[in-house]
Amino acid sequence: MTATDTSWGGVAQRPRRDFRRLREFAARWGALFALGVVWEIAARIADSIYFPPISRIMHRFVELWLSGPPNTLFLTEGVATDIVPSLTRMLGGWSIAVVLGVLLGVAIGRSRTLGDFVEPIIHFVRAIPPPALIPIFFILLGIGNEMRVSLIAFAVIWPVLLNTIDGVRSVETLHLDTGRVFEFDRRKVFFGIVLPSAAPKIFAGMRVSLSVALIVMVISEMVGRPDGIGSVILGAQRTFRMLDMWSGILLLGILGYVLNALLALVESRVTKWHRGAREGVS
Amino acid sequence: MSVTTTRTDLLTIEGLGHVYEGKQRHEAIGRLDFAVPEGAFVSIVGPSGCGKTTMLRCLSGLMSPTRGTVLLGGAPVIGVPRDLALVFQDYSRSLFPWRTVAGNIAFVLPRKQLSAAERKERIDESLDAVGLSAAADKYPWQLSGGMQQRVAIARALAYRPTILLMDEPFASVDAQTRAELEDLMLAVRQRFGMTILFVTHDIDESVYLADRVLVLSKSPSTIVASLEVNLPSPRDQVGTRELDDFVQLRSKIARMIRDQSTRRPSAPAIGDSESPS
Ligand SMILES: Nc1ncnc2c1ncn2[C@@H]1O[C@H](COP(=O)(O)OP(=O)(O)OP(=O)(O)O)[C@@H](O)[C@H]1O
Ligand SMILES: [Mg+2]
Repeated sequence: MTATDTSWGGVAQRPRRDFRRLREFAARWGALFALGVVWEIAARIADSIYFPPISRIMHRFVELWLSGPPNTLFLTEGVATDIVPSLTRMLGGWSIAVVLGVLLGVAIGRSRTLGDFVEPIIHFVRAIPPPALIPIFFILLGIGNEMRVSLIAFAVIWPVLLNTIDGVRSVETLHLDTGRVFEFDRRKVFFGIVLPSAAPKIFAGMRVSLSVALIVMVISEMVGRPDGIGSVILGAQRTFRMLDMWSGILLLGILGYVLNALLALVESRVTKWHRGAREGVS
Repeated sequence: MSVTTTRTDLLTIEGLGHVYEGKQRHEAIGRLDFAVPEGAFVSIVGPSGCGKTTMLRCLSGLMSPTRGTVLLGGAPVIGVPRDLALVFQDYSRSLFPWRTVAGNIAFVLPRKQLSAAERKERIDESLDAVGLSAAADKYPWQLSGGMQQRVAIARALAYRPTILLMDEPFASVDAQTRAELEDLMLAVRQRFGMTILFVTHDIDESVYLADRVLVLSKSPSTIVASLEVNLPSPRDQVGTRELDDFVQLRSKIARMIRDQSTRRPSAPAIGDSESPS
């Protein structure tokens, strides 16, 4: 579920546009609500132990994570033991990947020779599905958090890296020439021209990476020491606690959606000019 | 008004030639020799594809020519000199879309030499000169083509170059805007006392603006003629264009450009010829 077309903080807000946003909002949540209703009815008719009605899943969801005392904002202890470790390792691995991906991407994108050299390697390594590498990460880093964070970072660095390379390469030559005419030093060229030009592509890579990070996080938690949302889901499935399993899945959906929306918000702030420049104004 | 030989030459071009190597080798510039006196407004006319942009890239040090030397203030041009600014033909792609109009201008001002107040003053002054004070906080893509071009000019003005090179700056704006921008250039020249080298393929424009017009041949280009423009100043969009001198000069240039497609004249000596060959 992407949020590319929502206009967070557009340039010139007009009432007409607010109406449109309201309609879009209603359409999006309406569809989700309809899906819930269909699920509820179908589950009640089927009456299968594996597919409980959504109302019972949500009830269990609240019980598991949102029924704590008021002084912890109603969050339960389960949040601290299940969700926080998962989120930390996911965002940790993703952040490492973003920083490394952008730095390496800029270096590779700026140099033709380096690019010709390492690009085949990148494309080869990237083609390996990360779960297949779990055994190797096991051997190298054990079954704990380091293994998981590294696996996530490894899996999600590629979209950022490749998009950064692409973004850096597609910097307008006339912008670089303008920099030369006005005597920009290297730092100014990098932060003032190269990085802003590549920002839209870098953000696109970051978004893909974020969704992959969620997937790899779950996979990494299904092996090794039981810890995090992934192990909650797997453990529940093994002991036939279907409501717990579905709650975990629902939680993943919500997390993915919220994180993506947050990133989209930051993106639209930073690259506001990009959408405007492409669409023009009228 | 007239350019006299006693004035010192700011820019001197000797034996400039450029060949694009590659699969399709292309000799863009044959041989150019000319000098631009300090404070002069020299326009260069030539047919499309004759190597005008190539020449400006060589003069500005963005590219090193295959042959010849370029001297700015007596020193050879290696890399882009501090005293020089270039307004690109494709202005819309030379403005930074992620910066506002004021931001684009502020960006080219050296942070070290200028205080915040001085920077602000420069921005305001140059925007005022091009009549865009109201658009300071807009983004380039929120402006019309003519306005964008004015931003590009303002940015170059704020930089305070001694010499300003302009590459067909008004090629893609409508006639009305074009006339305004032409007068803007004359006013700006007066106000900031710059030497201006103005490339165009519009013959009327070249005559209207300049003290001297250099006419280029087709590629590989040479100078067909270097003509002094003796029109009264200040110039007037209607009045100047009616003058006999104006009409004769523009016809002369038009004839030269038409004729050189049939015969190729040899390059005249620097700056002193008043007629072709
Ligand atoms: N990078 C390049 N490689 C090879 N040939 C080139 C290159 N750039 C320009 N040329 C060729 O050199 C010639 C001169 O190009 P240039 O852009 O200098 O012309 P111009 O006089 O500025 O044309 P216009 O009036 O259309 O802007 C053209 O024939 C063009 O095809
Ligand atoms: Mg050109």
